[in-house]
Amino acid sequence: MSVNVWAVIRREYLQRVRSKWFVISTLGGPLLILLLMVVPAYFLVRGGQAEQKLAIVDGSNVLYERIAPYLVNEGLEVEEERWYPDVVTSLRKEATEGDLWGFIVLDELTLDTGEAIVYVTTRPSPIRQLTLQSAITRAVMEYQLERLGVDAEALLSGGDLSLELLSEERTSTEEPQFWVAYLGAFFLYMVILFYADSVMRATLEEKTSRIVEVIISSMEPWHLMLGKILGVGAVGLTQLLVWIVSGFLIVAGGIPLLVSLSPGLIPVETLLPALPGIGMVTLFVCLFIFGFFMYSGLHAAVGAMCNTDQEAQQVRLPMVMLLVIPIAMVSVVIMQPMTAMSTWLSLFPLFSPFLIWARVVSGGIPAWQIGLSFLLMLFTVLAIAWVAGRIYKVGILMAGKRPTLPELWRWVKEA
Amino acid sequence: MRYAIRLSDVTKRFGNHAAVSELNFDVPQGTICGLIGPNGSGKTTCLRMIMGILHPDVGSVSLLGATPDDVRRKRVGYLPEERGVYRKMTCTEFLTFLAEIRGVSRTEGWKRSHDWLERLGLGGWADRRIEVLSKGMQQKVQFIGTVIHEPELLILDEPFSGLDPLNQDVLEEIIRDFHSKGTTILLSTHLMDQAERICERVCLISNARKVLDADLKELKAKERTGVVVVRFEGSDQWLEGPEIDCIHESNGELHLILKDGADHQSILKRGLESGVKIYRFDLVEPRLHEIFVRHAGTESVGDAGMPKNVTLELQ
Repeated sequence: MSVNVWAVIRREYLQRVRSKWFVISTLGGPLLILLLMVVPAYFLVRGGQAEQKLAIVDGSNVLYERIAPYLVNEGLEVEEERWYPDVVTSLRKEATEGDLWGFIVLDELTLDTGEAIVYVTTRPSPIRQLTLQSAITRAVMEYQLERLGVDAEALLSGGDLSLELLSEERTSTEEPQFWVAYLGAFFLYMVILFYADSVMRATLEEKTSRIVEVIISSMEPWHLMLGKILGVGAVGLTQLLVWIVSGFLIVAGGIPLLVSLSPGLIPVETLLPALPGIGMVTLFVCLFIFGFFMYSGLHAAVGAMCNTDQEAQQVRLPMVMLLVIPIAMVSVVIMQPMTAMSTWLSLFPLFSPFLIWARVVSGGIPAWQIGLSFLLMLFTVLAIAWVAGRIYKVGILMAGKRPTLPELWRWVKEA
Repeated sequence: MRYAIRLSDVTKRFGNHAAVSELNFDVPQGTICGLIGPNGSGKTTCLRMIMGILHPDVGSVSLLGATPDDVRRKRVGYLPEERGVYRKMTCTEFLTFLAEIRGVSRTEGWKRSHDWLERLGLGGWADRRIEVLSKGMQQKVQFIGTVIHEPELLILDEPFSGLDPLNQDVLEEIIRDFHSKGTTILLSTHLMDQAERICERVCLISNARKVLDADLKELKAKERTGVVVVRFEGSDQWLEGPEIDCIHESNGELHLILKDGADHQSILKRGLESGVKIYRFDLVEPRLHEIFVRHAGTESVGDAGMPKNVTLELQ
């Protein structure tokens, strides 16, 4: 690559990396993630402690041993209270004095109907109500089944359904994976569009400030465009890498911390495998690079053919509208990654960066389709570069009226 | 003679409007040449074609004996009429960047930037962002950007516009300095006096066409007998005669532009006989302005209103 392209890349990169917004957004991103993780967890833990202590009066004499482990597992502290005539009165007093969150009274009737009375000082969340209810019903069923001589434990845990996949398709996507796929696609969309938009603004600024005439007299317009795109792309990549590395550090250091704070609160076993590995991170970065090249080429051409920001936003609108399709379809594609529609949508190069990600994470894509989509994106990058380069070359020095479509076509042909 | 720039039969149209029409002109190596004409006459278009920013519809442009693209980047310095800067860069960063895209190493570019800023009295601003500089200072930075790679050909589009008289002098001196070192300079201006002071050659254009293209000294020698400056009191009847082509006023004096071969003595004689008080009757070297008006007036046949417009614009 010629010397002057490097000069443009360096200028673009250094100017941007040194700017305030870059420092703030690059460092602010991970901090925000950290806050989003830690704050709710903190409140969850704190909230749990406040309503933790629960007494159980077991008039049936068989249910306590079955209920207690289950509730402990759900983060409650449980103590057994012997039955005596005034037990309700004295526990009620204890609870109002703040020593107890509440207590449950179980009796012989509970063994038949599952009915029980729960006294609480504060209204429990719907989930906690459900937990209490299921703990009791479960204990009752266990007891009754055991009386019949049935292996209650095996039966109640739902047996074991072993899945034998006959194709590569996964039938359902688990929740953590859904979010990795969904947020990842959305994040790619934001980052790619943000940096492509930066290329457009930079082009427009050079054009309106007239500096471009000096630059163009010293180098090929095509080189300027290339340098600009590579420079801005390098900034985006830098930011992405900082985010990824700090994200890993946060997760590596943060999850064990959270787990130690509240065992049982976060389902670590389900979360950890859902986190992207090195292969996924590489895919993510590659998708960013290809997506950025496609969209920044288009944006550079838009910037070159317009004279004001408003004009450029107008011209850009159809492109942004087109992007509503993949974003609207992301969740559908994640749920059903192997349908014909998902396949075709994800193979359309301009949608690939978002939808290929969604399909890969949800596990519903054959390897050859990933390869094909990258090949298609590569061709698209080259085609866009060819067309955009020509529009850029003519447009960058044009002032006055924005070109019409036939005029644009002439630029492309003649340049 | 070797030519730094040659334009042959160059025509450039924008839609139906011809910005430059059948232009032929050469700039010999080592000269200071002025491209002169009123606003909208096609000067900028002409310079942009020389720089390869625009391409002529018809005709060809050659620079330093080669096609424009190959040479212009490293050996030509171009100061466009509408000058931009990267506002967020510091002066030295900006200048080093400009040096670098023309093949000067970064360290060398850095050093030259400092030297130039020092020379133009901007030493204290070297590491400040360009956006904090005044307009005149920015213009100096832009000029440094034009010459930072030590080009052998300088193309300056209206270099003096926007500068105060003091800085115009500074710039003039620098231009002369480059000239004495052998740099070829082509500058466009609508200020006749300035062009007359600096340039060795002039190319006058009006309405997209060349009016005149000559060595300034030769031109003046040739047109020597042409102009009489008079100041007098009384009736101006004596100025009506067959010798006089046209008259225009400047600073309370009249400039009589004579027809080719006309005798100025007969006018003076008529004046004395008519009894007006004559304070000044001076046969002068014609000013470029007058030469221009005369040629533009006689050569643009079928455009009667033009010379008048030109005079208005030029004063």
